[in-house]
Amino acid sequence: MKKYQLPLKPLWLFPFFFLFTFFIANAQTENGNKPVTGKITDEGGNVIPGATIQVKGTNIRISAKDDGTFSIVVPAGKAILIISSIGFTQKEVSLNGETEITVKLSGSKNTLEDVVVIGYGTQKKRNVTGAVVSFDAGKLDERPVTRVDQALVGQMAGVAVKQTSGALGKGFSVQVRGTGSITAGNEPLYVIDGFPLATAAPNAAGNYANGNPLDNINPNDIESIQVLKDAAAAAIYGSRAANGVVIITTKRGRSGKVKLDVNSYVGFVERSKKLDMLNADEWIDRATEMINAKYVADYKAQGAGAADDYEMRRQKINSTIADPTKRIAAGQYNTTYMLDDRWAKPGHPGLRFIDWQDEAFRTGLMQNHQISASGGNEFVRYYVSGNTTRQEGMVINTNFISYSARANVEVNASKKLRFGLNISPTWSIINDPGVEGKDNILHQVLSMSPVQEDSMGLYPNIDKNGQYRWSTSTNSPIGKLQNIIGETKRFRTLTSIFGEYQIIPGLAFKTTLNLDNTDNNSKGFTPYIVASSLDTRNAQGTVQSSGSYNSYKKQTFANENTLSYNKEFNNIHSISALAGFSYNSDKLDNVRLSSNGGYSQNNIITLNAAKGVTGFTTESKNILLSYFGRLQYSFDNKYLLSASMRRDGSSRFGANTKWGWFPSASVGWRISEEEFIKPVTFINDLKLRGSWGKSGNYNIPDYGSINVEALYNYSLNGTSVVGQAPSALTNPDLTWEKSETIDVGFDVTVLQNRISATFDYYTKSNTALLLNAPVPLVTGYGTSLLNAGAVKNKGWDIEITSRNIVKGPFQWTTTANLSHNTNKVTTLTNDQTQILIPSAYGANAQHSILRVGDPMYSIYVVKQIGILTQEDIDKKVALYGPQTVGDPKYYDKSGDGFIDLNDRVIVGHPNPDYVWGITNNFRYKGFDLTVLTQGQWGGSIYSLLGRALGRTGQGYLDNPLGFFRNRWRSPDDPGDGKVGKAYSTFGQIANTDWLYSSDYIRVRVISLGYDLNRVIKSKKGIQAARVYITAENFFGHDKYKGGMNPEANNTDLSGNTGFPEPGDYGGLPLPKSLVLGVNITF
Amino acid sequence: MKKIVVVIIIAIAGCISACEKKLDQSPISGSPTENFYAQTSDFIQAVNAVYNGLMNYPDRQLNLSETRSDNLYAVSDGGVRDWEGVNSFHKTIAGNNYVTEAWAGNYNAIFKANTVLEKLAEKGNVISDTTLRKRLQAEARFLRAFYYFDLVRWFGRVPLIDKTLLANEALKIGRSEVSDVYSFIIADLEFAATNLPETYATADKGRATRYAAKGILALVYMTRSAPTYDIKGPGLGLNEWDKALALLNEIIAGGKYSLLPKYRDIFSYTNENNAEVVFDVQYATGSTPVVGGTFAWVLVPDTWFQSQGKGTQGGLTIRPVSNNLLNSYETADSVRKSISIQTGFTYNGVTETRSFFKKYVDLTKVPTNRIDWPINFIVMRYTDVLMLKAECILHGATGTQADVDAIVNQVRNRAGLTIPVTNVTLAELMEERRKEFAAEGSRWHDLVRSGSIESIMTSWIAAEDVQHVIQPFQKNYIIYPVPQSEIDVKQGLYEQNLGY
Repeated sequence: MKKYQLPLKPLWLFPFFFLFTFFIANAQTENGNKPVTGKITDEGGNVIPGATIQVKGTNIRISAKDDGTFSIVVPAGKAILIISSIGFTQKEVSLNGETEITVKLSGSKNTLEDVVVIGYGTQKKRNVTGAVVSFDAGKLDERPVTRVDQALVGQMAGVAVKQTSGALGKGFSVQVRGTGSITAGNEPLYVIDGFPLATAAPNAAGNYANGNPLDNINPNDIESIQVLKDAAAAAIYGSRAANGVVIITTKRGRSGKVKLDVNSYVGFVERSKKLDMLNADEWIDRATEMINAKYVADYKAQGAGAADDYEMRRQKINSTIADPTKRIAAGQYNTTYMLDDRWAKPGHPGLRFIDWQDEAFRTGLMQNHQISASGGNEFVRYYVSGNTTRQEGMVINTNFISYSARANVEVNASKKLRFGLNISPTWSIINDPGVEGKDNILHQVLSMSPVQEDSMGLYPNIDKNGQYRWSTSTNSPIGKLQNIIGETKRFRTLTSIFGEYQIIPGLAFKTTLNLDNTDNNSKGFTPYIVASSLDTRNAQGTVQSSGSYNSYKKQTFANENTLSYNKEFNNIHSISALAGFSYNSDKLDNVRLSSNGGYSQNNIITLNAAKGVTGFTTESKNILLSYFGRLQYSFDNKYLLSASMRRDGSSRFGANTKWGWFPSASVGWRISEEEFIKPVTFINDLKLRGSWGKSGNYNIPDYGSINVEALYNYSLNGTSVVGQAPSALTNPDLTWEKSETIDVGFDVTVLQNRISATFDYYTKSNTALLLNAPVPLVTGYGTSLLNAGAVKNKGWDIEITSRNIVKGPFQWTTTANLSHNTNKVTTLTNDQTQILIPSAYGANAQHSILRVGDPMYSIYVVKQIGILTQEDIDKKVALYGPQTVGDPKYYDKSGDGFIDLNDRVIVGHPNPDYVWGITNNFRYKGFDLTVLTQGQWGGSIYSLLGRALGRTGQGYLDNPLGFFRNRWRSPDDPGDGKVGKAYSTFGQIANTDWLYSSDYIRVRVISLGYDLNRVIKSKKGIQAARVYITAENFFGHDKYKGGMNPEANNTDLSGNTGFPEPGDYGGLPLPKSLVLGVNITF
Repeated sequence: MKKIVVVIIIAIAGCISACEKKLDQSPISGSPTENFYAQTSDFIQAVNAVYNGLMNYPDRQLNLSETRSDNLYAVSDGGVRDWEGVNSFHKTIAGNNYVTEAWAGNYNAIFKANTVLEKLAEKGNVISDTTLRKRLQAEARFLRAFYYFDLVRWFGRVPLIDKTLLANEALKIGRSEVSDVYSFIIADLEFAATNLPETYATADKGRATRYAAKGILALVYMTRSAPTYDIKGPGLGLNEWDKALALLNEIIAGGKYSLLPKYRDIFSYTNENNAEVVFDVQYATGSTPVVGGTFAWVLVPDTWFQSQGKGTQGGLTIRPVSNNLLNSYETADSVRKSISIQTGFTYNGVTETRSFFKKYVDLTKVPTNRIDWPINFIVMRYTDVLMLKAECILHGATGTQADVDAIVNQVRNRAGLTIPVTNVTLAELMEERRKEFAAEGSRWHDLVRSGSIESIMTSWIAAEDVQHVIQPFQKNYIIYPVPQSEIDVKQGLYEQNLGY
């Protein structure tokens, strides 16, 4: 085995030398004393608990009590106190001989004194030179959110959080500054309390098959979230940082009295949208029109007319069938050509009209209860919490239950030695019989014929019920919801222990050991009564039952060791240096079992009752080794400099390319500290920033560079024989995707800190993409995983906080963010200029293209430009196959006189151009109101669900989208000019029919709270109490008429792992919820 | 204190070198290729993997040969099925899944053949039994030729790949002339015909025999003797009917095969590897990974299985048998008709009046997994050998009209058509083949070989296409387009076939 040369060893040592040369003792003196007491409040007079009070020029520092009061001893000769608290502007107070003072702090969400968490450390916001955005998670516990990613929607500029599923407990899609990778995933790295979690890209269907890093993380335990957006900030995480880094900090205890928090809310959840489908009468109208049209067309020779009754049709059809035994007997039907007589009868006797959507959705109950205790003294600080959530889904028989606990404990063993332990065991159960996705229950709820036999109730084609002759053969989706079992149980424990030793003041060594263990089991069972057809159920019974049991165990272990040094010299030079080494391993064990040949018993769902079981186990592992260092320097708080370097080695990469360097550098200039600008009084702070850096994306399979044999078995004389051959064209030089980011921006605070803004412009170039490059099939394979191709993202993001009204009882603060991103493919491979993305649903559903110069996965389809008229036909406009009057008219791009796949044009791209969010906070006396509105525009959806429910040539069985109401019926009744006639025979071609804008606007949160302290006079025991009511997703508007959720991802559209393209083929609407809660602090 | 720091730094440095070794991870659940091909059984398994490539062959013949021919009028109500463009001569089927599969499936199998042939040359001496070594080589070459023959019939000119390639090497190899591809196929088949055994032990039944090689080689000669139709297709207009006849006569003289007395028994689930089978694709049910087939239901509508109390298989909607074929059966020809074709059915009170092929379905043998049917697919059976012989004679090869009539009467007699026919013409012979081999995937190839594909298809479309959805037939449509993915892989590497 080759021993790797380490030019890096000297490198990771060099910051040490740097540190040691600057050691200077830091002496302090104290003498005399004078007690000062006081109280700290915000501008509205509300108590601020736990603020820090420091005597200026000394090390004397205490925390205020929870009632805002404090008592501090001020040495003789000192007369200024510095008061600070997170979320408020730091204030210096001159005592002027007073011994009892009241201090009012002004609140500001992004004050410059705030400390932000960056990779491997913290930094004052005013000194940050990279693009970092923060989210204060303090009020998260008042929102009915069950996931951390859910809470991030609309909150941060440059961070697009998409709720791709309305199902319970599913991971969201988080994208920091667009998408740069074609196949390797665009999800950021998550770091919780310093522990980098295993990254996970969603699979081709948009699901996290082996878990999402944020699964089971209790949002109520989160203190703050920072997102490192540019490479300068993120590059310290090297080969995992190309998609940004999300740093999550959980709550911890502060010195002081024990604080007991209880938070409970109860409310309801229901769908936020109902899809407009034809109702039963409209369905009958359309079915009648189509059956008649087909009958008249196909039996023209027999004199067929739309007015023919059952018997006339039977005779005319039978007259064409030579074999008498094959003719339609009396009482039998051919539903292609014959109507149900009952449709036209008043009251449609014997039939039942069903709105399947109304039957499948419900109002569910949701509740969450959290209790936490925190506190500490100079030796120990702790935060412990317990949480339980129960949520009934908006769809019947779906629910989510979770329990979680957390203990964050820190111990000062001596003045120099500090230990800590964070541990958080969690347990969740999700029940979902498989609602979302192609041919799954929701898709069937939408497409199931709304007319059924009354005798079957809501249960056509279930158990002993057959199928209504004019209906789809689907088993009743309601029956499926009630009978299919899909249960996922997840037990996850995150554990971190750390030790920190202060070698000399300013120089500290820290080591951490982290383990993230997830055990996930899912059990599935479909009883035969909701499977297949009546004849088959009767004939086979439990043979048609099926079951499965899948599990995975995922373990991430990380050991991180850092040496850090912070020092200020002569009040001018401030230096902060860091060097570190880390070891990371991910291990995944998979078990998949499923029944084979059905079940031998009824009422048993476990696989012991299966007739046969097939299954397998697999394991995989990867190792990541890293060395890193960072140096930050500031001169006179004016000139800021930061540089970092990381070297990563991963077992995932080829033998020749195991190691890579990830450098970054950034500079900042705080212009507001310059003398020449100080006269401009309305500017409180102004900083220019610029950064450059390189990072990577290492999301490829664990052994992607090693060629392995695959099984290609055959049979001889009725017996299976083993066959083996190489499984793929592998590339021993495979390595990470490279990402290079340039960012320039500024931070400004003006008008007495009333308005602060941050602006960034960036370009991000991703190169050496992990591309499943198409290769000639003559190699034996269609694709080979190469480092080829490049994508460029450009954009800007802006975040503004304005404290509109600060004085008086009424206060109003607005925080707004807006980000703009565009991406384009700059190169592909083999001098290719385009790659057509395959479709899992046939050539005529192909709709995506990677083309140099255009956005990734641009939508590439034929354009509909109207409805064909007789005049068009006479003029010989281009037709797609046997089109006739009333069919859609398409744009003949190629100009060759007929419509085919060569007439496709790019009509949109999936990523929105703009994403925004606005949060307004209002306070009036004891009331506070928060409203978060967010949205996006400029993107498009190519909806395969829209295709399933509204395509040309769609038969009458499936219930179609509501727009068919306005269809072309005759030249005199042409409808809205967009929807062609119902009965068409020319087939279908991917066209703009199924293209929808993904623009939406949504009032995500409305939360109204009231401070009960104002009415509860007897405050014994209770320090704070408030009640609140929060509405989530109550109002909104979108342009997606072909589905429920413009961001839905649930189905693999390409059918090709080389080009993962998840899309909507039956996604739930977002749940809307209303909860009433109470928050009490003892 | 500084001592502690030094100790920690040393400890970390010590760990670093140990940790770096951990970066060399090997797959836990995979077998690296570099350790394979080390013993005899590895090579046998590598050859088995080449056979595995046959498993898509039957479906391909049904989708690309039967569906495109005058045997099926496979238009669906919505016009959305993959077979629609194949059946209706759409110009734009270069992206069609069936077309792409034909290219991909054959080249993947050729890659496996090239792999094992290279490894045999490199490490084959670990196989101490030299006869076995030769046999494995001959099997791989037989199969490679078989796949190339399939390619040349669908696409005409194709890239000739005789070794394993890296992606950038493949990007330099364009399409070879049809005649060069044939030369390569013939060399492989001649090697196989010399070095393959006549028969195998029971456990190896299903491997290619020397007669299989001769039979396919005869068909190769016949196919390239077909007219060129002025396209770069499988016909070269060569007059090699005698060469073919000689090979067919060798098979007949070998005496290993005979006609079964009953037509039905040829396709029986309990009579596999019967005396008619010269070469077949073998399947078995109930194994993991699955080694069963899907071709049994490819042309069978799902609702029919449901009407029979069986689970949905995957054939989707009906691909109706053409009226032209239905009406071509003589009244007495009921055995072959009823075995090949199901004429209509009623399900859930709904009557389907059209007919479909169900030749390979035995309702008592429906497997629990729909992709795991056990029935073998006969690629070449003895009847075929005899009828090909008659075809050669009618094209001028050595033989008499009496020989031809005798063969046709033998086949017809088994089918229950006891009144002898005389002076059988080529057109009558091909019509007889159509009924004998209905649903066996040979119709399109037969039409191409017959020389009259253009007139037959044109008049059939005029008579049958009541829905007016089939585009006018062109000679260019004799072969399929190069898959769009391959045209796109590198501009100019492969030129597209004319007409697409």
